[in-house]
Amino acid sequence: MAKQAFQGRLERVDSTCWKIPKSYKKGMLVDGLVFASQKLIEQSRQDQALEQVANVACLPGIVGASLAMPDIHWGYGFCIGGVCATDPREGGVISPGGVGYDINCGVRLVRTELNFPEVQPRLRQLVEELFKKIPAGVGQSGKFHFQAREMNRLLGEGPSFLTERGWATQADIDHTEAQGYMAGADPSRVSDQAQKRGKDQCGTLGSGNHFLEIQVVDTILDPQAAHVMGLFQNQVCLMIHSGSRGLGYQVCEDALGSLRKAPEKYGIELPDRQLACAPADSPEGRAYLAAMQSAAHFAWCNRQLLMHQAREVFASILGQTWESLGMRLIYDVCHNIAKLEEHQVEGKRKKVWVHRKGATRAFPPGHPEIPQVYQEIGQPVIIPGDMGRASWILVGQQGSMERSFGTTCHGAGRLLSRTAAVEKAKGRRIDRELESLGIVARAQSWKGLAEEQPDAYKDVDEVVGVVEEAKLSKRVARLRPIGVIKG
Amino acid sequence: MFEFFEHTADLGLRARAESLNDLFAEGAKALFAAILIQPEEIQPLEETQFHLEEADPACLFRDWLALLLTHFEADKKVFTRFQVFVQSSTLRATARGEMFDAARHGRNHEVKAITYHGLLLTQADGQWLAEVIVDI
Repeated sequence: MAKQAFQGRLERVDSTCWKIPKSYKKGMLVDGLVFASQKLIEQSRQDQALEQVANVACLPGIVGASLAMPDIHWGYGFCIGGVCATDPREGGVISPGGVGYDINCGVRLVRTELNFPEVQPRLRQLVEELFKKIPAGVGQSGKFHFQAREMNRLLGEGPSFLTERGWATQADIDHTEAQGYMAGADPSRVSDQAQKRGKDQCGTLGSGNHFLEIQVVDTILDPQAAHVMGLFQNQVCLMIHSGSRGLGYQVCEDALGSLRKAPEKYGIELPDRQLACAPADSPEGRAYLAAMQSAAHFAWCNRQLLMHQAREVFASILGQTWESLGMRLIYDVCHNIAKLEEHQVEGKRKKVWVHRKGATRAFPPGHPEIPQVYQEIGQPVIIPGDMGRASWILVGQQGSMERSFGTTCHGAGRLLSRTAAVEKAKGRRIDRELESLGIVARAQSWKGLAEEQPDAYKDVDEVVGVVEEAKLSKRVARLRPIGVIKG
Repeated sequence: MFEFFEHTADLGLRARAESLNDLFAEGAKALFAAILIQPEEIQPLEETQFHLEEADPACLFRDWLALLLTHFEADKKVFTRFQVFVQSSTLRATARGEMFDAARHGRNHEVKAITYHGLLLTQADGQWLAEVIVDI
């Protein structure tokens, strides 16, 4: 399948929203709605991402619209940046493609009490030590090993299990989306192959776009929300991006295999095989949900153990405990997940399965599912950008409940393919270019840095500008990278 | 023969061959070229047998690559010489290889999965063609 531009109909709804009408394609049950600026929508037209928005609109039981965020780009099945809600009472389906292979891939942001000038003289040492201690790169094993019984508890209970070992605190759990727990998890639904693929990978970063970054708060736009989160100008923070590693990939692979006959069995017509799905309340749907939620627990444990190792490194290099360094978890968000949530649909309160594939939950102030401390400001939303420019922390806004099933964007969104990025980096030293910007970067390979170079991504400032204008979420603070660890 | 093609977030593998059996062997080589920096360093020391059943030829091709990927990820095995026999909905294959050695083989992409998106297997002008997109 070669890269082709989208030639379909696109109607402007307002300054930040575009519609693919349901008349565009046979089988569409709802419209497609894409949040984007003029510039971002033009970039999105260059491949098949918008066609994928139309394809998702064909899923049985879909309600509202097939949505996409401004960081939309071409994925497989669903576009990256895609959101879809299905009503299980109306035969609504669950689709593993709407979650992705990297189940509960997500991001967490850790604050410190440190100012940039305090850290600057030790920055290189910190980056080197993080690179040495935190397993990163393809197929890398970690130092945490769990026996079968322990793995069962980890998959069934999530990161609260790690509190028993001293690898997590109650405050960490409280500042994790859903408190790191999904009640439908059933480890017996995770295959032996999946467990084998993940057995020594909990606490490892992985490769691709996964990273650990030391960042500095360089702009504060909402001082009140920043204060509540414990953020201040020039503060050093730590951002971690990773997911469920091989275990999650295999859970998705297993589910797609078992769902192969489901369209025929349930009379579902699909425009793309990767959209394989089954009614959420069917045996196949329930089996996937139980395994997916176990994999989500694994991902939260992975990010928790990555944070634990980073805290240890900071403590050893800076000669203080991580507690006295103020290394508190601000929040941990998932951006590849499906969750049963209550939303207003056509004037009625309904429980729907919200699929977020490269999209982040963004609940507004006062929502019962966000921690007490954030009740007045809204749920923190962490948006990694690229390793040369910036990342953002936002808070959820009421508009997200009205327009996007409580959802906002998840990152900058890829602009160049990995092949094109490597081509563009030929003859260059990306690490030296970053160094000239004051960023110390370490990666397992030149190619890893080349694929992830800043030019490979859209401008994250523009992406978050759109979600703010669309009232899905609001900017709180911008963070620029100073130390980067890549797999 | 095989080649890679562009996909915004992921990577496409394209294999061509004069027979269906060779097409499956080329697909396997493409997969290990995506995973390893130096697949030519794989020594054909041990033999492993594979067996798959799937009526749809394109899905059978995808399943074959997915099976090899699982062997690599779960058992750390890499393969180089492939003899594949596809008849109707049955695949029987023998692959020779060894245990993965990071220093010698090098890691290229972390292939998370073989997707179904844009999956293609076709025959035209006496040549077989297959395409898959792998999630990286």
